[in-house]
Amino acid sequence: MTVSTLASDAPRASRFRSLAPLLVVLAIAGLGLTLLLPLNGWFPWWELAIVAALFIAWQAFPPDGLAHDRTLIPIVAAICSLGILEISRIDPYLGRHQTGSLIAGLLIVVLGQRLFVQFRRLAHVTYPWVLISLALFIALHYFGQEVNGARLWFHIGPFNAQPVEAIKLFMVFFMAAYLADKGQAIAAVRWRELGTYARLIVPLVLGWGVSILTLVLQHDVGMAGLFLGILLVMLYVASRRLDIVFVFLVVSIAGAWVAVHSFPYVQTRIGVWLDPWNDPLGRGYQAEQAYFSLAAGGVLGTGYHQGHPGFIPDAATDYTFAAWAEEFGLIGGLALIALYGVLIVRGFGIAFYAADRFTMLLATGFAATLGIQVFVIIGGVVGLLPLTGITLPFFSYGGSSIVANLIMLNFLWLFSRERAPDSV
Amino acid sequence: MRGRLTRAVLVFIVLLVLVAAQEVRVQIAQQQSISERPGNPRRSLSNERRGALLDAAGNALALTKGARRIYPAGTALAQLVGYASSQYGESGLESALDSVLAAPLPTSSSMDVASLFRQTGQAANASGGDVVLTLREDIAKAVDDAMPQGIHGAAIVVDPRNGAILAAVNRPTFDPNALAAQWKNLRTNPTSPLLDRAFAGLYPPGSTFKMVTASAALDNGVVVMSDTFTDPGYFAIGNFRVQNDRGEITGTQDLTGAFALSSNVDFAQIGLRLGLDSFYDYLHRFHVGDELEVAAPSSRDEVPAKDTVIPSELAQMSFGQGGLAVTPLRMALVGATIANQGVLMRPQLVKQFRFPSGRLLDVPPAIWERVMSQTTADQVRTMMIAVVRNGTGTAARIAGVTVAGKTGTGTHTGGPPDAWFVCFAPAEHPRLVVAVLVEDAGYGGAVAAPIARGILQAALPMYGK
Repeated sequence: MTVSTLASDAPRASRFRSLAPLLVVLAIAGLGLTLLLPLNGWFPWWELAIVAALFIAWQAFPPDGLAHDRTLIPIVAAICSLGILEISRIDPYLGRHQTGSLIAGLLIVVLGQRLFVQFRRLAHVTYPWVLISLALFIALHYFGQEVNGARLWFHIGPFNAQPVEAIKLFMVFFMAAYLADKGQAIAAVRWRELGTYARLIVPLVLGWGVSILTLVLQHDVGMAGLFLGILLVMLYVASRRLDIVFVFLVVSIAGAWVAVHSFPYVQTRIGVWLDPWNDPLGRGYQAEQAYFSLAAGGVLGTGYHQGHPGFIPDAATDYTFAAWAEEFGLIGGLALIALYGVLIVRGFGIAFYAADRFTMLLATGFAATLGIQVFVIIGGVVGLLPLTGITLPFFSYGGSSIVANLIMLNFLWLFSRERAPDSV
Repeated sequence: MRGRLTRAVLVFIVLLVLVAAQEVRVQIAQQQSISERPGNPRRSLSNERRGALLDAAGNALALTKGARRIYPAGTALAQLVGYASSQYGESGLESALDSVLAAPLPTSSSMDVASLFRQTGQAANASGGDVVLTLREDIAKAVDDAMPQGIHGAAIVVDPRNGAILAAVNRPTFDPNALAAQWKNLRTNPTSPLLDRAFAGLYPPGSTFKMVTASAALDNGVVVMSDTFTDPGYFAIGNFRVQNDRGEITGTQDLTGAFALSSNVDFAQIGLRLGLDSFYDYLHRFHVGDELEVAAPSSRDEVPAKDTVIPSELAQMSFGQGGLAVTPLRMALVGATIANQGVLMRPQLVKQFRFPSGRLLDVPPAIWERVMSQTTADQVRTMMIAVVRNGTGTAARIAGVTVAGKTGTGTHTGGPPDAWFVCFAPAEHPRLVVAVLVEDAGYGGAVAAPIARGILQAALPMYGK
């Protein structure tokens, strides 16, 4: 079977068959949350029912009437449930808030499906994304709130919004459109043709660089690293030019070196990473507490509500994974990593079977975004990397992040086509 | 293009495997070492079942009430007993004896699958063991009262007959019952209130070290009590000139006179007469420069390597200078050796372990070394009595009790000399050895001897026959 048949003649599967995996996940999650969360009283059960209904609506009503992937949404539903479970345990108020954000994100996805499905109209939109991002950054600079040394938040009435989560999507759209158009030319360019080279690379670097520079100025080095990773993956997939990727990497490492030496904030995090036990009362306190939390968990975990993840400051946002791995152990932690692994592999698989270059690059960008976030955050928590302030997609507490990640995942889902049972 | 996607996804799989491997490392390989680090707040959950430290009379020196760790001896034994805090870690004996005192962490090794099926809380009832120490709370408090505030230094009290350490009090000190309020100051204060000067501070012993030199010379036979020495106020070895502490001329006298008036000039010559080999032989017999091998954290004395010592340095070491640096505990042990008729007992802090199982383990006193003959010890003791009766240590005289002692003035660069006094009483049948050190305070006889006198006066009636 060729790729084109897969893409265009995708089977229209029965609704129940496409829903079955999701229903199984929701049944287990519903049972688990009902047993473990104090649903009587302050955590209304109907909020969880709304979440379940919205997940089902998402999977059951594809806007194009085609049968889409059956694994992405169930996995997201599973990760979201586990996240709510652990966040509620750290702080019940935050757990409810997270449920609210999840409902908002699902509503946006389900109600906005008619718009999202027309993504191909954006195939030639490039610089407007950069301009919107820039405008958001400038607004952030003047109206944003500073938290922990970084100015990343808008406070609009009762809502807090983190625009960088949206800018993350805008950048992927910008790079996908640009590289779909110029990728092959970049693949062919030679280093001595400096003029051509500059003509092809400079707009990309400028567009991307605006965001990265602003992020660095906003002290959000983690997000800057994420953007760099996305660029490298997309550039490589679009052009096969490992040499260009390498030059980017070297320049970025030089930039990172400058960042480390210019921002005490970054230097602190690197220092904590290299020696978390140094000065436990000051800078390394959070990382140290996370290590204690992980160690307390061991292989099987302490059990739900049996651990003490509350000793970690900001556990619900930065260290949800540590809290999870304390109470559910290495087994739980590896299971979560495996869920993300499936999500990421599925994302790249969708890119693999994408119908056109733009869709393929978008899927690559989204899959890479997921992959880098998971790697950087869990890697930071377990001490493989310095800790950054990015959220663990669908799992850690953060409204803007959950909405943006749901939209991103919805695009991957829309790009996908369920494989026919006889296509093995 | 598809091949590149395959490669990209492989990179991500490798990255996730790396993350998983690191998680395995933290949660299995490093699990125990991380859990047991000080600062793990989960330890304080087991601190409620932490064992007690008791003094020789059975009074608690460290005990847990509810979630609080209480130190009844307060400032008197703050550094030696130390503290155990989930927030600030552990120090002193609380740290050194942690393996006995600590109750097992509530989350025992999760590798044990059987624990899944066990009732929760079963492991949580296990408590830590108790340790009975040789210390005496009443004596420690008396020493704390006798030590002036505002000085930097240490006083240590030892029973010479069994090596039992009865008290070790430092200045400056702190209240271990109120750590949180003082923590920042304790950590940053340049006078180091957390430092256990008695066990870990290193100071040039000055003339107190003449106890070692005199013991060696008499025991070895290179001098006898009746030898006479002439001190013209200086002694030249090549280009080096030995002088007395105050530059005085002590004149012509026998060995007792040279010792009682603490003549550096005479002792430089005695050291040279003894020779490098014999001098170091007696350093080894006194175990100067060896680990103290006590339960509490301690420092090892600094002794110049033998093959680097030139005669002018040997001459200085004979009166406790020339690169020597020792702990106050070490000088107390030198005094105890003489008080105990030439036999050095091992310094002892732990009297009995009381394990959670109910098993008791007594730690008996032990001889460390016969350093010198009983005759030599008697001769040195006689000279030490003369020091207090009519020498440099008259400030330590107590009516009705014979005190034997030796003053010291440890000169060092960067400040006035350190004042020392090492003594024992009653001189006929010594029960207590007291070593006092006051940093940068001047002459031992003037500063340290009166403190030692106060300690003896208070502690002798408390400490039997």
